Amino acid sequence: MVNGKIANEIRRIFRDPGVVVIFIVATLAYPLLYKAIYWNEQITNVPVAVVDLSNSPQSRAFLHKWNAAPDICLTHTCTSMAEAEQLLRDQNVHGIIYFPRDFAAQLADPLGQAHISLYCDMSSFLYMKAIYLSCNQVMLEQMRNIQIDRYEQMGMGEEFAWALVQDAPYHEIALFTPTGGYGSFLIPAVLMLILHQTLFFGICMLGGTAREENMDQYSLESLLARAAAYFVIYFGLSVIVLGLYPRLFDIPHVGAIDDILLLIVPYLLAIIFFSLCVSVFIRNRESGLVLLISSSLIFLFMAGISWPKEMIPDAWWYIACCIPYTHGAHAFIHINSMGASLLHTNHFTASAMPEWIALWIQTGAYFLFACLLFFFRKRQGNKAAKQ
Amino acid sequence: MKYIFINIWRVMKRELHMMFARPLYMFASVGVMLLSTFFFLTLMRGGTAEKMPVAVVDLDQTTISRRLIHEMQATPSVDIQLVTNSYPEARIAMQSGKIYGILVIREGFYSDLVDFKRPQLDFYVTNAYTVGGNTAYKQLLTMANLTSGAFQREVLRKKGLPDDIIMHRIQPLAVEGHMVANPWGNYSVYLVSTILPGILGLICLMLTIFAVGFELKMRTSHAWLQAAGGNYTVAMIGKLIPYTLIYIILGVGCHVILYHFAGFPVYGSHARLMFGLLLFIFAMEALGITLIGLLPTLRDALSIGALYSMLGFSLSGFTYPQMSMLAPIKALTYLEPLRHYYLLYVNEALMAGPIQNTIHCMLALVAFMLVSLLVSPRLHSALVNQNYPLK
Repeated sequence: MVNGKIANEIRRIFRDPGVVVIFIVATLAYPLLYKAIYWNEQITNVPVAVVDLSNSPQSRAFLHKWNAAPDICLTHTCTSMAEAEQLLRDQNVHGIIYFPRDFAAQLADPLGQAHISLYCDMSSFLYMKAIYLSCNQVMLEQMRNIQIDRYEQMGMGEEFAWALVQDAPYHEIALFTPTGGYGSFLIPAVLMLILHQTLFFGICMLGGTAREENMDQYSLESLLARAAAYFVIYFGLSVIVLGLYPRLFDIPHVGAIDDILLLIVPYLLAIIFFSLCVSVFIRNRESGLVLLISSSLIFLFMAGISWPKEMIPDAWWYIACCIPYTHGAHAFIHINSMGASLLHTNHFTASAMPEWIALWIQTGAYFLFACLLFFFRKRQGNKAAKQ
Repeated sequence: MKYIFINIWRVMKRELHMMFARPLYMFASVGVMLLSTFFFLTLMRGGTAEKMPVAVVDLDQTTISRRLIHEMQATPSVDIQLVTNSYPEARIAMQSGKIYGILVIREGFYSDLVDFKRPQLDFYVTNAYTVGGNTAYKQLLTMANLTSGAFQREVLRKKGLPDDIIMHRIQPLAVEGHMVANPWGNYSVYLVSTILPGILGLICLMLTIFAVGFELKMRTSHAWLQAAGGNYTVAMIGKLIPYTLIYIILGVGCHVILYHFAGFPVYGSHARLMFGLLLFIFAMEALGITLIGLLPTLRDALSIGALYSMLGFSLSGFTYPQMSMLAPIKALTYLEPLRHYYLLYVNEALMAGPIQNTIHCMLALVAFMLVSLLVSPRLHSALVNQNYPLK
């Protein structure tokens, strides 16, 4: 009986082109589109204008060194700030570096402090990051050379001067996605969001359709059959999207595949029962998509991925914890991008168990909630039928 | 001429009646916009990520390393969540998302320091969370420079140099950063200024498709045309006026909330920025008409509309700049009205540029409206013949 219902439900899905577009086409094509958008990962050669009033060998040496950084490209040399500001306003450059007239003189003065002004276009934070970080690195290097010169002039030995200038040099290592690319960071989170939202919208659509057609859909049997049908289809899709795509398209994938399979199970179940709960309130097949489309952005930001979770007000964070995406995305990033694990934990590998358990708790809670909602709906339906 | 106005009024009355009969319209427009505005304005706590939790791994375990850690903990911009003598413990904390950066003080740090052997500090920063990792990195830099500066100052003081001269010795070269048009580096200003108009555009697109497509689905398009005296243009205008009024109110409300109450900066012209937002709203409505005209089945048009417009947030280039995208993707960005609105916003609100810099954005948005006229014959015949599947 239930088997027949599952088959029926699967047939219903594949006979519905609108749902097929959302379930299959969007789920499989969207990740590739996002990969294509963020293909280059890094932003390089951000155009910068130079205003060098000091026109000195020191400023030229600085610029020479900075121009060697891949992040930026010194494209324009201007004689005045006004000229450079014009370029920035017209978006021909995204930054300006300005050397005042006394730059060389201040450097030559053993007691002087030379200044450089740096102007960044804030229309995208990635411009600022590229310009600031690369300039800062050159600045620190040049600064140390100057300090060494000055200390040597004071009669210190070179070795002592170096020890003084940088008593503890630092060495930085970027973990997990060594390129530090924007796509490597965002795409894993987007993959999870695509699965979450397509399943969410699809279930709301199917629920709305069934209600339009006055199908008897509010029995426990139907609840289980529908959940099973969605699970079967989405398990296959998730294996492709979370398992295969990262390995084919150079998306971070340091996690073990069995961990990812294990994560998929409660993630899908939690989404399915969560969506079934919401779908009870959807009257028409189309109204769900119209009403809930903005939820994709809200879920993404609330989950604390592009904006750190530590900086999210508690009230929003508690709500976020009720959404399967929040735990699923963090667990996937921890496993897939950072090498945490569910099955292979040891003294050097973190466990993604807390998120995994949270997903199971959600599964249970949303299942019970869905049963309750279905029960009331059914009673309501029966009453309406009697009248 | 008089009849045209009477007919438009009749269609409008019919539309208003339908609109208030179903709560969906108000929920999906006013409700969603209010919720989104409230959400995005309250999400970011001041808009700058300052203190991200980091860990310190103290392998040296000497008085000086402990004093160092103590000093770092006292620094207000640093949030040390974990001090440990085991690197794996710190790494596990990072893998489970508790911290974003690790500073390692190696064994022998103290003895190397006193021998002037320049012991090395190691930073580990996570790249799996961009904003968290970057902020942690800045913090670790502060911590390292703190160590270095303090040491130099001590030595120079012992040599009898006064403090102001020491300052210049320690920092003979300084870079003054100026963040043009967003001097606080406020992430909220940057993000919300494009996301909220984007959500409004999303609403306009989806609801326009719904309003037109629902007539096709319910087979009520004949009644609709009849109310308009059989005139397609009158039918369209009458139907869209009530929605457009709602969108305009939402758009103006959004502008007032962002740029007056929330205090987001506008260095250029308020009027042109608001005009641009209205053009963007109309362009999204027109895109909705185009989609339902091309695909006169409600659910297909809605699915495609949703997929198309969600891409706009990435393709507009406000997070990941368009200059770094592949050539074919760059071409795609022009098909998203949000891209043109974003460019207009940058010029008007941030750069205070002349109108010549945005006229092309405005023209592009107008082009979306003109394109929607091209589908009129197809949409008209769909309304008359009702020859598309219901679902």
